[in-house]
Amino acid sequence: MARKTSFEWDFGAVQIYLPIAELSVSLFFLVGIGGAVGFLSGLFGVGGGFLLTPLLIFSGVPSAVAVASVTGQVVAASTSGALSYYRRGGIDLHLAMYLVIAGIMGAFGGVAAFDLLRKSGQLDFVISIGFLVLLGSVGILMLQESVRAILKQRQGVVVRERLPNQHSWIHGLPMRVRFKKSRLYISVLPVLAIGLFIGFVGALLGVGGGFIMVPALVYLLRVPGNVVIGTSLAQVLALMAATTVMHAVQSQSVDILLAFCLMVGGTAGAQFGAAAGKHLRGEQLRGLLALLVLAIAIRFGLNLVLTPDDLFSMTTAGGAR
Amino acid sequence: MRRTLQLALALALLVATIMPAAAERLVSALSNDTIEITSSFDGERLTFYGTIAPDAGAEQKYVVGPYHVVVVIEGPTEDTVAREKTNVLGMWLNTNQVTFKGFPSYFHVLSSGRLRDITDITTLTTNFILPEAHVLLPNEAGWWPTMVFGRELIRLMTEERLFGVQENAVNFLSDNFYSAQLTLPSNAPPGPYIAHTYVFKNGEVIVRKSDGFAVRKIGFERFLAQSSTQYPLLYGLACVALALVTGWLGGVLFRR
Repeated sequence: MARKTSFEWDFGAVQIYLPIAELSVSLFFLVGIGGAVGFLSGLFGVGGGFLLTPLLIFSGVPSAVAVASVTGQVVAASTSGALSYYRRGGIDLHLAMYLVIAGIMGAFGGVAAFDLLRKSGQLDFVISIGFLVLLGSVGILMLQESVRAILKQRQGVVVRERLPNQHSWIHGLPMRVRFKKSRLYISVLPVLAIGLFIGFVGALLGVGGGFIMVPALVYLLRVPGNVVIGTSLAQVLALMAATTVMHAVQSQSVDILLAFCLMVGGTAGAQFGAAAGKHLRGEQLRGLLALLVLAIAIRFGLNLVLTPDDLFSMTTAGGAR
Repeated sequence: MRRTLQLALALALLVATIMPAAAERLVSALSNDTIEITSSFDGERLTFYGTIAPDAGAEQKYVVGPYHVVVVIEGPTEDTVAREKTNVLGMWLNTNQVTFKGFPSYFHVLSSGRLRDITDITTLTTNFILPEAHVLLPNEAGWWPTMVFGRELIRLMTEERLFGVQENAVNFLSDNFYSAQLTLPSNAPPGPYIAHTYVFKNGEVIVRKSDGFAVRKIGFERFLAQSSTQYPLLYGLACVALALVTGWLGGVLFRR
């Protein structure tokens, strides 16, 4: 929020002026972090919003502009993946539609909350605590799971994946709908709740929500593995596209130039990441991702708890920052 | 006869109050009247210059100093909020705030000597020559918070190079010709700027003049910034379309 322009890293001589953020940044830095995050997202098969938004905030881009612009970048990051899953038939469009409709409802709430918080000066705080809670819990769960898998493998135990058609109480709720592609006949309520939650969080924090969506689909809804990633990508794509438009209309803090630089870096990086990912094993990858997620969560936590360098900050009432 | 005398006296008094006895005028200009923000905008240098000359129609043919010149550059005004973080349950969050209405987003003072040597504090504050003068205005938050937050706001603005006082920035090239240089930083907010030039003699303002210039986005940047506020829906849709095309193109280009 504060007018922060401490862009002193001049390793890229080419400066680009961002018209909405109203500051000039090194072009190489932007494409560089886009590429680095794209590489990681390709490697781990996640959208990368949860890495990119914090990185931009930590390097001085106003939170409002960072969140709104990264939603645009996430659209680009999930497009090529969603397309290739669509061609392979790896998307449950029916399920994705339910998720997206609920997600858009959630995003409306998220964008409204975003705007309200920005005006009252609590946006940075809520973003920090949101990332801390979200990344902290997801990171710990992932780390546990991957460590367990690695240990079991060392002991020579064959890890048996949980069966997708095992039912839990969640499936027994009323308003059941048949999702043919996922071979599920489940209540629509948990589907809508997941969509709503991810839409809200995604709009508020500028994350696609793939890293929450995938576990939710697998463990809560028991969606079979062959359609999980595709469905999640499709819903992230549609939801983030809607969120970008909402941010553009409501808070007017989408910086298209910033988003474009990140997109270019991100799409290129993702391809190399995906290629590199083939040389690493799944549990190791998940373990690494968990560590990364935890590191960011800790950084946000420290931000909240440590005495800030400057107790005072300033912001203009009307502007985009 | 007496009436005419009275009238003449009144006129003379009037003229005397309007025009100071030793009348000087200021002929001033600046190097650019528009600062254009392009994609490579990285700040810009401005020169203010002028000469102190006898007033038009004055008897004398030269002016006698010593003069001091102060140039005050003021950017577009905005409602600005200063916030303070306090520790609540171990976490630092914004709790107190003071809004300053119509606060300049850019404010620099260039002078030919120490301000304290040029004139007194009353002249400086009533003419808004000191940055601090802007936070002395009455504020609904009360005078004490206004003082505390105002001081911090000026400090923050100074750290961002948006506020500043340079007491050696105005140079006299002759007895009555001065020039001053200002480097506008890359984060200078776009909008209308005013440069107020004050000429001091013996601690009094003898001439003042204002010149305007504009900092504005041009070309593509201007187009983007305008469409984001005027056609936000189209802007958002364009952003999504751009993302879809970039993502699709990336997938096509890199597919092996």
